[in-house]
Amino acid sequence: MPVLTRDSEVGLELPELACQFTPAHFRRADEATIHTDVEAARREGLPAPVATGPQVAALIFRQLRTCFGEGWIVGGRCELTFRRPVYVSDFCVARGTVKRREDSAEGVRLHCDVWIENASGDKVIVGSASGLVQ
Amino acid sequence: MQVDETSEPKDGATRVAADSKGPRARFEDIEIGRVLGEMDWVVTEDMIDTQCAIDADYDVWYSLRSPWNGRIAPPQISYRPPRWLLSRTYNVRGLFYRWEMENVRPIRPGVTLHVVARVCDKYVKNEREFIVYEAVATDPHNDVVFRTRRTHVLDFVERSARRAGEGIDSGIKAERI
Repeated sequence: MPVLTRDSEVGLELPELACQFTPAHFRRADEATIHTDVEAARREGLPAPVATGPQVAALIFRQLRTCFGEGWIVGGRCELTFRRPVYVSDFCVARGTVKRREDSAEGVRLHCDVWIENASGDKVIVGSASGLVQ
Repeated sequence: MQVDETSEPKDGATRVAADSKGPRARFEDIEIGRVLGEMDWVVTEDMIDTQCAIDADYDVWYSLRSPWNGRIAPPQISYRPPRWLLSRTYNVRGLFYRWEMENVRPIRPGVTLHVVARVCDKYVKNEREFIVYEAVATDPHNDVVFRTRRTHVLDFVERSARRAGEGIDSGIKAERI
């Protein structure tokens, strides 16, 4: 059963989802990339290898699948901004809250603020997401 | 991408000029409205397994069965084909800055998706150069499966830095999950 329903109230906090990333999360074959190689990252001006944005954002997608169920797979929408680098050994947690309810022709849509924080509490990814609820 | 919006330029910093796949795309080369191409893309069961492993995103719907008569792919598998189409035209290593996505229909294994992408904007912000592109995927019935709009920053280093030297990583990626 999805976490969110048409009875969910504005202000409800979405379930948190956390991950302790490690360099192994970002290795692909033997490629030297800005995600795996210190020198490759430095040549691009980065102080250290950074996580791949989509893999970090996947924490939010898992959260949304849990929260909206079928309403994420069909009709789910998301807008994310990657504000700060996430490094390959960072701890991250996905959080969110229900912000608004919309009655539309396609059904009831709940709009949420979603974000990912690092261990220091910095919001490294911020955005909004919505899905249809039953 | 992850632009650090608080970072300051470092004296003597340069932007990568080229990598093993060729010269990096320059801001002035990017043409708003340019069609980045199109491709047919069939998600396989192995691709779904790989995507779930990459994201540690395991779900009965993705691995076994779903309300759509069989397993489906995690929606974020849609990240890659538009990125591949960008790479076919512009060598942008850069960093991912913004991701807009709309999941219209489930992505199912064995179904051929037709993906078309085009450049829709470019701009400068915080002394960095950005490219915006969008893509839409349709199924064999011409029904939309997903839409997306992406923003990449061309370089982590500010645009005032000259281009010099060779990068190890490239913006042109192998077309695989």
